[in-house]
Amino acid sequence: MLEVADLRKSFGALRATDGVSLAVAQGETHAIIGPNGAGKTTLIAQLAGNLRPDSGRIRFAGDDVTALPAHARARRGLARSFQITSIYPDFTVLQNVALAVQGRSGAAALWRDARRDASLRGPARDILEEIGLAERAEVLAANLAHGEQRQLEVAIALATRPRLLLLDEPMAGMGAEESQRMIGLLSKLKGRHTMILVEHDMDAVFRLADRISVLVYGRLIATDIPERIRANEEVRRAYLGENL
Amino acid sequence: MTPILVFEQLLNGLQFGVMLFLMAAGLTLVFGIMNLVNLAHGSLYMVGAYATVAAINWTGSWLAGVALGLAATLVIGMLTEVIALRTLYERDHLDQVLATFGLILFFNEAVAMIFGRTALYMSLPGWLQGHVQIIPGSIYPAYRAAVIVVGLLVSAGLWYVVARTRLGMLIRAGASNRAMVSALGINIRLLYTLVFGCGAALAGLAGLMAGPIYAVQPGMGEMILIQVFVVIVIGGIGSVRGALVGAIIVGIVDTLGRAFLKPMLATLISPTAAENAGPALASMLIYLLMAVVLAVRPAGLFPSK
Amino acid sequence: MRKELVFWFVFAALLAFLPPVMNAVGQPYYIDLVRRIMILAIAAVSLNLILGYGGLVSFGHAAYLGVGAYAVGILAFYGVTNGWLQFATAIVASALVAAAIGSISIRTSGIYFIMITLAFTQMLYYLGISIAEFGGDDGMRLKARSQFPLIDLGDPVASYYVALAFMLASVYLVYWIVNTRFGMALRASKSNEARTRAVGISPYPYRLAAFVIAGALCGLAGALYANHTNYLTPGFMTWQQSGELMFMVILGGMASTAGPVLGSFALLLLEEVLKGWTEHWQVILGPLLVLSVILFRRGLAGIFYKPDA
Repeated sequence: MLEVADLRKSFGALRATDGVSLAVAQGETHAIIGPNGAGKTTLIAQLAGNLRPDSGRIRFAGDDVTALPAHARARRGLARSFQITSIYPDFTVLQNVALAVQGRSGAAALWRDARRDASLRGPARDILEEIGLAERAEVLAANLAHGEQRQLEVAIALATRPRLLLLDEPMAGMGAEESQRMIGLLSKLKGRHTMILVEHDMDAVFRLADRISVLVYGRLIATDIPERIRANEEVRRAYLGENL
Repeated sequence: MTPILVFEQLLNGLQFGVMLFLMAAGLTLVFGIMNLVNLAHGSLYMVGAYATVAAINWTGSWLAGVALGLAATLVIGMLTEVIALRTLYERDHLDQVLATFGLILFFNEAVAMIFGRTALYMSLPGWLQGHVQIIPGSIYPAYRAAVIVVGLLVSAGLWYVVARTRLGMLIRAGASNRAMVSALGINIRLLYTLVFGCGAALAGLAGLMAGPIYAVQPGMGEMILIQVFVVIVIGGIGSVRGALVGAIIVGIVDTLGRAFLKPMLATLISPTAAENAGPALASMLIYLLMAVVLAVRPAGLFPSK
Repeated sequence: MRKELVFWFVFAALLAFLPPVMNAVGQPYYIDLVRRIMILAIAAVSLNLILGYGGLVSFGHAAYLGVGAYAVGILAFYGVTNGWLQFATAIVASALVAAAIGSISIRTSGIYFIMITLAFTQMLYYLGISIAEFGGDDGMRLKARSQFPLIDLGDPVASYYVALAFMLASVYLVYWIVNTRFGMALRASKSNEARTRAVGISPYPYRLAAFVIAGALCGLAGALYANHTNYLTPGFMTWQQSGELMFMVILGGMASTAGPVLGSFALLLLEEVLKGWTEHWQVILGPLLVLSVILFRRGLAGIFYKPDA
């Protein structure tokens, strides 16, 4: 589904992405972990199209998307959620998701009244059901609890009917109970959607991931199935030793 | 269109460019450090001109008038910052634009109330009247030459401050981050007021230098302000170097255009058509230039952010 | 929704009754005053589309008042007085100018956009000044008003109702636009640009289209304005006029249907009152505007009803 070949990105003297190569298969849930400052968000930004890499290639579903802007990648089915919640605070929950549904249909029915448009609201409600936010549909997004806003992040990403979900720390800032709910939600999505998950929450990572990549100082030091990553000496030294 | 004529107009363009730079530098400094878009910058230019005219009349001495005029602009600038602009640092650009627009109305009308609406002229002392010989065979107004010299000196001084001092370091670091600046142990409020005062002084200097050349009248600030915007857009906002390059380019293009476009057009199309089209095109020239620059470099020539 | 409809009904009725009442009490001046306010309100409504809903701080919107007015004036100058043709030209010309300016400006953002829109409008202003045939700096009288069947725009009351009709129509037009998918994409781009790109919507074409629509609508206001003043000058296109339009939108409350109309009435009536006190009314208005920015955030529309999402 996604192939990354020798991706590089530097900010002045800082090598944020230092020759990253990765391949994620369809239906796989792939986690990317690493200490803070490893360049995880920079990597996600390049995959999503928010940042142009200095060199390297990104292939999505067989096509070279390295030069495509973010909105074009989204239209092809590459959806992302943001580490810092990025929703529409002045719209309702339903409108938030409806906008994402609208995004995937391009400029169709541009002049239809969006408030009564069943082809937008129907799918939006379905997604809210799946995520578990159906009762909050008419609430202004700014008035949601933090955990609910993170759920909305995922809902918006889902609404674009993605072939690949890039989830940047979906559990950021969540308490224990909220995290469990999010893990449950992501488990439901597992298998049906290809997912790349950047997370610090090791519980979630080891429960959800099919494979894990470890990013340290812009380089992938290991890519493997969870058990072997857990046992990997280098990884323990660099990162896991602190967290497990 | 003799070479001597072209040379004179080039000097005029340089003189205009130098004044544009003084204004642009002040505006870009304030924006770079305080993230404040200040439309009333043109009003400070106007205050500089009027305060100097008043001071010259009051003291009878040109030099004393200039010094007083500059000081007055500095004070008025800092007062404006303390009274009206402090609350705007935290607001978005739209609010800043609107509030400073209100200030423009105030300043223009206040000046009209005190001095009347008709244009005033600033007299020159004897030693600045007359001409100097720049190259053999061509004489140039002494005053305009003085403007160029003073402008270049101030520009050099500005460069020194920006490139060599700690304050300059803050400016170059794009220090619109209050937390970072205060972490360096600097009193933010004082810094902001001082920076604004400097910007005001630069504008006031440009204004008083403009006095003898252009008319001193209400609204004079806005006419040049919009040209200063063109300079900043072309040069790249937040960049003092960009302001200098942009100012020289705009100054020269505008001046040469106004001087030579009509006669040049007259050779291509009929003189009567050129009579209209010449000035029209000349006045639009710098905006067309801005459009071309933007098409190629949307962030200006030397973008700093 | 209910409250909004009631408001509009009452407001429109009040405005509809104004001419006969003013004629009866022998104060026809107010008919002219309110007509002027309503025409400028159309310009404010058009600006609200891109500023209030779109988040584009266009400091050059008065350009289209000028383009529309000059379209009418120039056609009349050459003997073309057919109202339909003149108004159509005003709208199309404004749309084209908006497309040209917008295609360059909308690629930029933030403070660049503000400065660039201001600069382009100034360019048009200078163009207007330098064309001597059409009066240059002084402007020119309208040779003849726009001719429409059945309606004489020279008649104060008839033109008043024409302005009222157009104002109500433009309010409804913008209301309809912002609730379509197009409008939602535009509003989404303002609310959270990064998120909008991430769902597959590129803001640029929506913003450009909205900019053109707003320009065209303002051009219509310009055509009406020329007929109202019977005179047109480059002064229609000054940055002061642009600033005034922006204040009309802000004061009333951005991103609401009634906002720009209420803001227009508030600001222009305030100016009228101040002008009555002193010729130096701007020295009072200036600080008042500064205060209004520093103190108010929601605008006037928030007093009457909660702005609809």
